[in-house]
Amino acid sequence: MKEFIAISDLSKKIINIANMASTLPVNVLIIGEVGVGKKLLSTNILPNSIVFDGKFLEQSILSKTVNLSQYPDMIVTNIQNVINKKEFMENLNGVKVVATSNFMIDEIEDLFAIKIDIPPLCQRDEDLEQLKKIHYEKAKDVFDVKIDLDELDIDLSQNGISLKKSIFKSVFIKSLTDDDIKKSMEYFLHKKILEKKDYKELLQYFEIPLLDAAKKEFNSQLKMATNLNINRMTLRKKIEQYNLDY
Amino acid sequence: MKEFYEQLLEHDLNPYLLFDSNGKIKSYNKEAEFLMNFVGVKELFELAVSNASLNFGFNHKYITLKYNKQSYYAILVGYISDDEIALRLYKSVSNQVHTIDDQKLKLINIFSLIELSKNSVLLNSNLNIVEVYDVSIPEIKLNINDFLLCLNDCFLYFSNDKEITLQVQIKIGEYEILNNKKHKIISLEFATDRKVQVDQDLEKKASKANANIFFNHNHLRLELPIIL
Repeated sequence: MKEFIAISDLSKKIINIANMASTLPVNVLIIGEVGVGKKLLSTNILPNSIVFDGKFLEQSILSKTVNLSQYPDMIVTNIQNVINKKEFMENLNGVKVVATSNFMIDEIEDLFAIKIDIPPLCQRDEDLEQLKKIHYEKAKDVFDVKIDLDELDIDLSQNGISLKKSIFKSVFIKSLTDDDIKKSMEYFLHKKILEKKDYKELLQYFEIPLLDAAKKEFNSQLKMATNLNINRMTLRKKIEQYNLDY
Repeated sequence: MKEFYEQLLEHDLNPYLLFDSNGKIKSYNKEAEFLMNFVGVKELFELAVSNASLNFGFNHKYITLKYNKQSYYAILVGYISDDEIALRLYKSVSNQVHTIDDQKLKLINIFSLIELSKNSVLLNSNLNIVEVYDVSIPEIKLNINDFLLCLNDCFLYFSNDKEITLQVQIKIGEYEILNNKKHKIISLEFATDRKVQVDQDLEKKASKANANIFFNHNHLRLELPIIL
């Protein structure tokens, strides 16, 4: 089972709150951005409970296709999507509810004696480092390539979800061989050809990465032109043509 | 006859006080003596002066006042010379019997709930709490849900402060009668360096949690019966 990573002091506090909440007969609301670990934390509190999506459960209650009396407790995810939240919670009276939401909901705030606001990963440095290592180790095993952790191109826009994706993508890119690149380009260009793109339009897929790579390495147009063995004026034209910000 | 009226006032359920022009008390009844345990003479004198009629005479004013657990719905201020002014406060009468639903109570360590509430409400706050706890307090029966909701709001009330002192202790010599039984009282006193204002939502939540809440000067005090 996946576990909520708690290395930072803040996360340790959150785990303590969750552990205490698991022993009490009160409702818990877990709030946080996408990918911060709300669902993982809720399963820490109620490890053996059924998990319902809020909107799905609301519809099931309305259509009387769910027998709530068989559940002493439950996890309700995305409760922010429930339409009539008060009525929904009234129906769950007598059930210990651990709900997750992307934001605080004033309407039902008083129905949850414990509220846990999980901060985004960018505010939990130690957890972020640990997660990076975990995902990197997995990606490294899958793609069989070693790279430096600093070389990873990290995306935290969706916290843990985008972090994992970006690490796998970074490792995958580093693992590509010439043949892989050729094959993937062939696959990609074939799709573009089917979209009726012509030679000139497709040229950008070769030239832009080439210019970006040269900029990264040489950092001046003069050096770029010399090393790529092209005329400086040609290079300038290309940069202007693709509207590159060098 | 004069003595009879004095006796009548003495036994009145509403507090009565008579001040001289300097605010010193000349006379008061039993209820006023009790009231002065919770509110200063100066404050009561100012209340009388600020609500007195422009000319000699008597002035009724319907205002809501709360001192300790007692609420008042009106006052009467009267003076017939420049030397004396009288104040009478009218108690809000409640025939509510103090009972508690035993079924919803659960035996719990109050300090674990304080810790839980503090950590969850102040997760991202820099508030420093000086804790003065009487750790000999036993596990007590509480409605955990209602108590946590009230306690959360108490911590939230101070979340923008720099430092507070939280003192948790058993009150000596004070009891609360519930279901015809005498119970000792636990007091949770939150002290800060600013004046606290009455918060009606918090009062409602405290009442739901079978607790009394007091806002005095720079501290907020929550009191609840020890049910074992």
